[in-house]
Amino acid sequence: MLSSLSQVVDMHFFAFLRATGVTLQLTAVSLALAVVIGLVFAFLKLSRNPIANLLANAYIGIVRGTPLIVLLMFLYFGISSIVVLTSFWAGSFALAIHAGAYVAEIFRGTIQSIDHGQHEAARSLGMSRRLSMRLIILPQAFRRAIPPLGNQFIIGLKDSSLVAFLGVSEIYSTAMTAAAANFRPFETYLVAGLYYLVLVLIFTALVNRLELKLTPDRRAAA
Amino acid sequence: MNVIETRNLHKHFGDLHVLKGIDLTVAEGEVVVIIGPSGSGKSTLLRCLNFLEFPDEGSEVLLDGEPIDPASNNLDKVRERMGMVFQHFYLFPHKNVLNNITIAPENVKGMPRAKAKEVARDLLGKVGLPDKEKAWPSQLSGGQKQRVAIARALAMDPEIMLFDEVTSALDPELVVEVLQVIQDLASGGMTMVMVTHEMGFAREVADRVIMMDDGMIIEEGEPAAFFANPTEERTKTFLGQVLHA
Repeated sequence: MLSSLSQVVDMHFFAFLRATGVTLQLTAVSLALAVVIGLVFAFLKLSRNPIANLLANAYIGIVRGTPLIVLLMFLYFGISSIVVLTSFWAGSFALAIHAGAYVAEIFRGTIQSIDHGQHEAARSLGMSRRLSMRLIILPQAFRRAIPPLGNQFIIGLKDSSLVAFLGVSEIYSTAMTAAAANFRPFETYLVAGLYYLVLVLIFTALVNRLELKLTPDRRAAA
Repeated sequence: MNVIETRNLHKHFGDLHVLKGIDLTVAEGEVVVIIGPSGSGKSTLLRCLNFLEFPDEGSEVLLDGEPIDPASNNLDKVRERMGMVFQHFYLFPHKNVLNNITIAPENVKGMPRAKAKEVARDLLGKVGLPDKEKAWPSQLSGGQKQRVAIARALAMDPEIMLFDEVTSALDPELVVEVLQVIQDLASGGMTMVMVTHEMGFAREVADRVIMMDDGMIIEEGEPAAFFANPTEERTKTFLGQVLHA
């Protein structure tokens, strides 16, 4: 089995390498968009405006209440009926809309978790609501958001495999094609799994380093 | 000249009537200490002075003789002129000590970084922490945190300081160092209103002691007379409880 595994690795090495690039691009684009979407909807949800709340709740409720594959297909066919997009971009947008809902809840939670006294202290120094949010609340909320965001990003990386069904040649779709050609599905999907595993491990290490970098006070206290 | 004046100040939280018509004046350079049982409205009164809480409609708060109207005044500008120190410090944990002090002068007043640092270092010297500018709040004791919080408020060069039970969360042995800083400020002529349970401090440093109960000022006077001969029964009871505790 080991030899057949190494055969599979050899045979599809460049295909998987290219596919890894595509998976990383899908992940990077969709998560960058998800952070922007998440931040906007977190603020809508925290807003005192009931219409903004309604909008945020509807978005988060719908996305969380439907399976990603359904959302993916729905948005893919929905988006492509309006504008012509490559399957890569359609997939990225769909993944972003999906992850954005979870990111919104992460940001809302961490912003709300900052002691109200921090805001009052900032206001008592003459800071406006906006300045207090920018200088005092958000930096603390972002730091607290890193562990759950890292978690969400790992999920996002793995969720990108579903875009295979839109015909994007990322890792999972490459594995499907390869398995159909080499008649060794077991080894092929094992290789695909290993690719994801290595990516996730590297990513986890990066998140841990980022967290340490953004919390100089905790480093000093340790 | 009165730095702060309130006229018929009322405050409701829902159905709860917390302040029931407070008339308070604080003259320039005066040290006013507010005492009273918990729930009497002391902290709420303090927080109404800088509009962290909004007084009810019809209440008047005047700063330097000018009425503050939340609808037309920029309250950020009003708060700039009043320093506040809280029971639980609320230092900014993501900023080191120096930047806790410089952040407001730099971003609110637009003070240049170099000047803000100079101001901060000078204040850290005054509160006895000249060697702590690079420390993080999480590395400080409660007393040190509170002294940084005082320096942070002073960095905005306020006309009046509001102290809200600033020693209540401290271990007993750390209370003195904070009270010493406040006493130095008072000797330097700072106008201040202080809510506290430190009766010894009130007796020594206050120009005037105010007793609050049930949302009203029930008695006030200069400290020697106030503590020696309180006239109100509720004051006597309260003093009896806190002084023999």
